[in-house]
Amino acid sequence: MKETLNKMLKIDRRWLFLLLTFAIIIPILKPIGIPSKSTSDAVKDIYDFIDKLPPGSTIILSLDYDPSTAPELHPQAAVVLKHAFKKNLKVIIMTFLAGSGGLIDELVRTIPTKYSKEYGRDYVLLPYMPNILAALTQMSSNIYAFYEKDIDGKPLREYEMMKNIQSYKDIACVVDITGTAILDYWVAYVGDKYKVPILGGVTAISQVGYGPYLQKKQLKGLIGGMKGAAEYERLISEVGKGTSGIDALNIAHILVIVFIIFSNIVLLILKFL
Amino acid sequence: MEIILGAFVTSGLTLFIFSFLYKDNPFFKIAEHLYMGAGLAWYIQLTIYKVIIPNVWGPFRKAWENGDWFTIWMIVIPTVLGISLITQFIPRISWMSRYGFTFLMGYSAGLALPTGLSTDFMNQILGTIEPFASVLNLTTGQLLNSIILLIGTISVLFYFFFSVEHKGAIKKISNFGIYFLMIYFGASFGNTVMARFSLLYGRFDLLVRYSNAQYFYATNWIILGLVIYFIVEKFLIKKVIANNS
Repeated sequence: MKETLNKMLKIDRRWLFLLLTFAIIIPILKPIGIPSKSTSDAVKDIYDFIDKLPPGSTIILSLDYDPSTAPELHPQAAVVLKHAFKKNLKVIIMTFLAGSGGLIDELVRTIPTKYSKEYGRDYVLLPYMPNILAALTQMSSNIYAFYEKDIDGKPLREYEMMKNIQSYKDIACVVDITGTAILDYWVAYVGDKYKVPILGGVTAISQVGYGPYLQKKQLKGLIGGMKGAAEYERLISEVGKGTSGIDALNIAHILVIVFIIFSNIVLLILKFL
Repeated sequence: MEIILGAFVTSGLTLFIFSFLYKDNPFFKIAEHLYMGAGLAWYIQLTIYKVIIPNVWGPFRKAWENGDWFTIWMIVIPTVLGISLITQFIPRISWMSRYGFTFLMGYSAGLALPTGLSTDFMNQILGTIEPFASVLNLTTGQLLNSIILLIGTISVLFYFFFSVEHKGAIKKISNFGIYFLMIYFGASFGNTVMARFSLLYGRFDLLVRYSNAQYFYATNWIILGLVIYFIVEKFLIKKVIANNS
């Protein structure tokens, strides 16, 4: 028995990779629909904040993620944009990450038409800016000093929705979806300094580190990872990539827990044999 | 046509990288080198078209045409300082980079220090002790939470305080702080696992999408090709071993 158990512990890891592959592929091919009823307070806070904004308010949606973190953050960006359009908010979309161009393009190609939103009247796209510190501090007095033109090179001031927008004081809140530390910049240089409400969407890895900001209300709400996106989709009653990924996540997590428990039981048995 | 080609490239490179999990192979090496080379090339063209042309060359040309010397100097001086940073790679003229770095460090420190102190230091200290200012208004749960937060913050800070030897009472408090650190690292690791699985789901979702007829079964062809390669390679290796023995 000892030899069998030792063999089990030395199993080729490629078999485990294969099991994990099946655990994730099978729910994609055949969705199971595992119920997910819990909603974290941080996601509820961000939903409530946006939900309570009066129609016509302008928000900044800073999408600072690239394809490496897209599976977690793209569903978040999509669901926040959908919620904003549902509430008839005006959205200024910007980015400080060069690789996000294609992903933003994918968002604005599909979502605005679904809600009958028009470019220039309901949303605008600002070009990529490399120097985030300069941009964030300059926008406190005059957005147009940095963003004279939109992404297509047309004067920004001429758009209908930008007519009453000069600086942060005309912005209801900022939602930053990012896989980098850019959210820290928004909190420090905009939220704390100019008292603009900051809401965030981050990868699950970074989510734990923003606990102190949430506790002190420096961040008004936070969406964490694909799970956070799924919770938000449930709140706005729209199924998206977040919800469809939860099945696979649940099965994969159960598999990992089984591996950990099984290997620990085997180790304990071997120790006392 | 471009869409089908894109599907083949995307699923191909993804599967080439994943093939390393089975064993090292030339396809993985191709994908690895492409990742470095193409990524770097993309970043260079991005810097030229999204940074230098709209923020330096475009405004410079416009100011030159208008004879606006003030704007010209406002563009030239920072550009020269920025270029001076590159001179650090040339030992003979690396002294020039000091000027660029001086501005960079001064500007960054000037912005970062007061903001960092306020956001990450003062506000966090306030957040830890603020609940106790209105302790009678807290529910039992909130009071317990605040006490645990306070004890956790102080004991973890003790752990990271190395100016005093950790013995006696200090050692006990810092050891207690280790438990809070373990809880944090456990939560962080669990979230990391979830994040990695999310990224894996994203990749597999793309592979499943590109296995449709619409994309000419791109994923299926690539998998078939890789399986054939590994079978042939195993067969060839066996033959070589048999010939040598």
